[in-house]
Amino acid sequence: MEPVIHLNDVSMAYGCNGTRATALARISFDIRQGEYVVITGESGAGKSTLLTILGGLQVPTEGVVRIGGADLSSLPADGLADFRRETIGFVFQSYHLLPYLTARENVMVPMSQERIPPREKEERANDLLASVGLAGKEDRLPSQLSGGESQRVAIARALIHDPPVLLADEPTGNLDSATGEQILDLFSEWHGRGKTVLMVTHNKANLFRATRSIRLRDGQVEEDRLLRLLPAESAAV
Amino acid sequence: MNIRKLAWKNLLRRKSRAVFTGLGIFLGIATFVAISSITSQMEGASQDQLDRFGANIVVSPRTEKLSLGFGDIALGGTEVTHFRLTMADKDRIASIHHKARIRSIVPILMTGVDASGKNLVWMGLPGTEMAIARPWWKIQGGAMLTRGEVLLGAEAAFALDKGSGGTVTAGNRRYRVAGVLQPTGEKEDGMVIADIADVQALAKKPGAVTYFEVAALCKDCPVEEIVAQIGQALPGARVSAIRQVVESRKAAVDQLRRLGFGVSAIVLLIGGLMVLVTVMSGVQERTREIGVLRAVGFRSRSIFSLLFLETGWVSLLSSLLGAGAGIAVAYLASPAFGIDHPSVVFSPAIFGAVAGLSLGLIGAIPPARRAAALSPTEAIRSL
Ligand SMILES: Nc1ncnc2c1ncn2[C@@H]1O[C@H](COP(=O)(O)OP(=O)(O)OP(=O)(O)O)[C@@H](O)[C@H]1O
Ligand SMILES: [Mg+2]
Repeated sequence: MEPVIHLNDVSMAYGCNGTRATALARISFDIRQGEYVVITGESGAGKSTLLTILGGLQVPTEGVVRIGGADLSSLPADGLADFRRETIGFVFQSYHLLPYLTARENVMVPMSQERIPPREKEERANDLLASVGLAGKEDRLPSQLSGGESQRVAIARALIHDPPVLLADEPTGNLDSATGEQILDLFSEWHGRGKTVLMVTHNKANLFRATRSIRLRDGQVEEDRLLRLLPAESAAV
Repeated sequence: MNIRKLAWKNLLRRKSRAVFTGLGIFLGIATFVAISSITSQMEGASQDQLDRFGANIVVSPRTEKLSLGFGDIALGGTEVTHFRLTMADKDRIASIHHKARIRSIVPILMTGVDASGKNLVWMGLPGTEMAIARPWWKIQGGAMLTRGEVLLGAEAAFALDKGSGGTVTAGNRRYRVAGVLQPTGEKEDGMVIADIADVQALAKKPGAVTYFEVAALCKDCPVEEIVAQIGQALPGARVSAIRQVVESRKAAVDQLRRLGFGVSAIVLLIGGLMVLVTVMSGVQERTREIGVLRAVGFRSRSIFSLLFLETGWVSLLSSLLGAGAGIAVAYLASPAFGIDHPSVVFSPAIFGAVAGLSLGLIGAIPPARRAAALSPTEAIRSL
């Protein structure tokens, strides 16, 4: 089976000649569908850079990135936007909700361009909010939600298009451990439906849910380790 | 949730920003519309006023002699005249096709008569029309000209050593001096001015007229047409437009038009810059938010329509209100600018509203392009 994510010799350098900083140096790996990958590494190792490249939020200076069969470097700007909307769910450490929209409206934002009846959009948003445990809080503004609740709204927004790949950059970084657990439960549940999950984290405790761990150091893969077999593979053994 | 709703929500959330942007557009457009409609009305009004100011056509008999000076003033009987003007010719002039354009026809009779022992030129004109024919005369004593009375030019008064209340004797009659003209620098300074009937009696030429001064309103009809029509009505007369008067009126009106145009252009420029700056900074402030929208899959067209809707609504509403306010201000303020019959001029208002809307939209383009050119990551990180 073709891997859902394929990286080959991907490098990323920020800045111009004078202040050039290499964030990623010739990284290559494949990720198959249904993997739950935890990406760790010291601060500045290139974790966020890697994740935003996988999410199509920026393009690498060099190398090939293929996700779901699409070569990201060959996509035009709007093609990349479509890719982000259809293939990727992205969860930011600091939520990035729109402050003037209610929880429900924030979840509906990615559907803005679609000609779906408003009722249907609302129902989908309500269902998702209920599934992340926010039933009854659909009409709150982000300022009226706790950090964990805000992050769950952001997750609902990321999942609204039922993306095959979920990317999360330290989604629990701003939350206490109990609230963080709830968020991780949501990821596990999503992973349980056969989706691919990549999560950047500092917390070693998060490793036990994952199937694979990739550790970065100075923009390179320092360690790539399988933690568990995928359900399909364990059945085959 | 769709783009329109998103734009609306964002406007509501930044009410004060929207109001401020709108106010900038409103003021810019209102000032432009008010100033340009006032100046365009002033153009008409000043033309009216200029037309009121003295004659611009002189009707005199054709003579064999070369004309000397102003309007062939014929003194004495030295030149051969084929044709004499009389009071009855006034009706002929008044019956031309463009008669509605003629504001006044004033007969003038000039004659040299002995006055209290001094040979002076007498100028006769209908006393009742003096204010129309010579509105710039300033008469010490503020007198009117009635029959049996004379006004003295400044030099004539000096030569005769007479002042207001004195008497001048001519042709066995005594004329009371009703007033003395302040010096005008023209020939009338040396003249005795009397009612035309008195001068006709003195010269023993009943009904005689030396020339007619015609004041025509020629706002949008060329004075040449009026001249030609009077020439047809009085074949023996020489009809000439006083070019200097016509040209100076044109120049005055042109100047006003240029001033109005210049002021409107500057106001539009300032208003336009205000619109651009407020809209641009408004969009710039939202780079981060644009980054988030792009991260969740907004195509660049969606970003543009979002920003266009927002600024479009604000600038449409405020430029329409501004155009309306400009019209109202121009209407209310027009009496202060000498416009007696204010009218509503729509063209600056339409131009202003369109300019306000398009500037509002154009102002959104550069920052929107800049935001769209950034990768979502860069946009989110900005600010
Ligand atoms: N926009 C940028 N311009 C210049 N250098 C950058 C930029 N973003 C990241 N870097 C550099 O790239 C390297 C990798 O950054 P990155 O954010 O990917 O690290 P990280 O592993 O996510 O760190 P952290 O755990 O602190 O979030 C760092 O050295 C950083 O200084
Ligand atoms: Mg990071």
